[in-house]
Amino acid sequence: MNKRNNKECVAMLLAGGQGTRLGVLTRNVAKPAVPFGGKYRIIDFPLSNCINSGIDTVGVLTQYQPFELNQYIGNGQPWDLDRLSGGVYVLPPYMTGKAGEWYKGTANAIYQNIMFIDRFNPQYVLVLSGDHIYRMDYAAMLAQHKRNHADCTIAVYKVPIEEASRFGIMNTNEDGSVYEFEEKPKHPKSTNASMGIYIFNWSVLRRYLIEDEANPDSENDFGKNIIPNMLKDGCKLWAHRYEGYWKDVGTISSLWEANMDLLDESSGINIAAEGSNKIYARNAAEPPQYVADTAVIKHAIVSEGATVFGEVRDSIISHGAHVGAGAKVIGSVVLPGAKIANGAEVYYSIIGENAVVGAGAKVGAIQTAPVKGEWCIAVVGPNVEVKDGGRVEAGDMIG
Amino acid sequence: MNNVMSVIFASDYENKLNELTVHRTTASLPFSGRYRLIDFALSNLVNAGITQIGIVTRSNYSSLMDHIRMGRDWDLNRKNSGISIFPPFVLNASREMYKGKVEALFSIQGFISHNDEEYVLLTNSNVAMNIDLEKVYDFHIEKGADITILTHRACPTTSRRMVVGSDENGRINDLYITETPDVNPVWVGVNVYLVKKDLLMDLVVKYYARGFYDLEKDILTKNVAELKLYEYRVEGHVAVIDDVKSYYNENLALLDSDKRNKLFYGNGVIYTKVKDSVPTVYRENAAVKNSLIADGCDIDGTVENSVLFRGVKVAKGAVIRNSIIMENGNIQQNAQVSYAITDKDVTISDGRTIAGYETYPVVIVKGKTV
Repeated sequence: MNKRNNKECVAMLLAGGQGTRLGVLTRNVAKPAVPFGGKYRIIDFPLSNCINSGIDTVGVLTQYQPFELNQYIGNGQPWDLDRLSGGVYVLPPYMTGKAGEWYKGTANAIYQNIMFIDRFNPQYVLVLSGDHIYRMDYAAMLAQHKRNHADCTIAVYKVPIEEASRFGIMNTNEDGSVYEFEEKPKHPKSTNASMGIYIFNWSVLRRYLIEDEANPDSENDFGKNIIPNMLKDGCKLWAHRYEGYWKDVGTISSLWEANMDLLDESSGINIAAEGSNKIYARNAAEPPQYVADTAVIKHAIVSEGATVFGEVRDSIISHGAHVGAGAKVIGSVVLPGAKIANGAEVYYSIIGENAVVGAGAKVGAIQTAPVKGEWCIAVVGPNVEVKDGGRVEAGDMIG
Repeated sequence: MNNVMSVIFASDYENKLNELTVHRTTASLPFSGRYRLIDFALSNLVNAGITQIGIVTRSNYSSLMDHIRMGRDWDLNRKNSGISIFPPFVLNASREMYKGKVEALFSIQGFISHNDEEYVLLTNSNVAMNIDLEKVYDFHIEKGADITILTHRACPTTSRRMVVGSDENGRINDLYITETPDVNPVWVGVNVYLVKKDLLMDLVVKYYARGFYDLEKDILTKNVAELKLYEYRVEGHVAVIDDVKSYYNENLALLDSDKRNKLFYGNGVIYTKVKDSVPTVYRENAAVKNSLIADGCDIDGTVENSVLFRGVKVAKGAVIRNSIIMENGNIQQNAQVSYAITDKDVTISDGRTIAGYETYPVVIVKGKTV
């Protein structure tokens, strides 16, 4: 083994999720490649967290609609992950000898890349998922993991007790060690939800992955199989409490909410630079945004290359998007390159990349509160055109 | 175009940019919200596949080095070719900075002759345009020109301009330098030339040995009959920046959508250094009209007919009109700014008023607090 390649910690980012609940937004792209916050994509958050935490070796596990994601990641340069040793690697499933198969589950995806991880001979492996919006210092979590001499440390986030049954719940002793894990419990004993962020001692995880793979009844999932098996065997599992903003953007409603949280300082999400730590993204090379004489922009986020001639309130306008004269965009997320023609009205909607809302068309409706926790957001899919004067009802999805 | 290399002159001998170039070269002068002037020259070159680029500097070039770094943002971090920056050098006995382009070219003979390309594109960095240089090359070959001179239609000002007259074929038959303002537009050079490398080096060696330094005055205007000089007229929007007033006017000219589209989308993408700014935030009291706003701004005040560079803060009650606010400007509550150019990192404190006049915009020097 060439020692120069050794890394203390290698991150493995699970980015193979199909994201079916995002409907037309993930028809042609993997969920981590979905645009967010005007100039980002979801995967920018975990990738930026890695480099800001000093982790310079990241494997990105892809299998669903990988082209756009692969192209976006490229050589990793936008995240400073183009390294002589380490850096970012896109890892699709591959053939070995006669066999070869898709990633069957989260644990299987890591199992299939044991050889990749072994090349860096790491002491620790950080497992991340590619569909959450949050900023986290993985270095602090790793320091805690080492202090506790843990086999596995799981990041947890306090959720309201009434929502706890939707999550994997870690029941902990007073010192933070985990004595029980319950997947979506009917009667939750605590509110420590697993964030799907794990640090493992690689030697321990490696053994469990091989054992798990040998068990034909296993679902090859971290939450359902690996963690319960480790607990059963008396491994030392600890919870790492995370206090900041964290959101799973797996549904249209939550994706819209996370975008809106950018406009609400009390939400706790902060994309501004913290010291030299930024959220990095591949740059679109667009000129500055132009705001016309006829424009009204209040309580909004607007990115480069956007041209605004109409009214924008409580909304996110992504790079290269256009809002025509007399158009109204209220409480909405307009993704890159989308065009809202003159006089169109867009309320509580997500307008896909390069979509067109024709002149005088009306999309969505103003809402005051979510119903059963879900907002009724209208979605116009990428590259879709809503005809002049057309109508898309609240909660409808076209594309 | 693997057959063409380029030399960019980062500092202009004859400009009158005063305070704006105290800390920097003309090439690294911030322009139109998120660019430096040299971004346009570099992007035009890269978009035409010209990747062997030398940049000649005279002084204050640290901001230029910081902007360009390895050239990655223009895709110029190559194994073969890429950017070579030539810092100021002393070669005459009086230990002065180089005098004019002829001496500059003489001093980088090695760089020019070492590379394989047959042609050299010479360009100043005080011009912002978005053009297809492959067409210039095709024109040059088709005409069998010795030197192709790029021009645009403009009125002469007090800055040094070369007026170009040509016949119906584009063959130049009149060439003179003027510093006399005129309200009638003529075709004037934009300081971009395409020439065969061997011819250029012959001219440079010959004229430098005879004590001449000025490419335009000493070589071009004196060889109208002897050399086949051709005029290539640039379509689209051309911004030539050679004094504070033209800097101010050319920034604000981009509030015109037609000019903006020509400059930013006319031929190819204009690249610049990536800074990973967050998108711009408009707050409750924001009232922005007819303005060009870069990323990373935070606006809670009034902004009209202005250009805001990256990371500008406009507090509640602040009013900015007809002004250019460079990177990280901090316009505090109830401050009033009109007809002003504030350089990088300038703070206008609570309630202060800064006002220039349309014909004489006031300049606040980099890093100052009013």
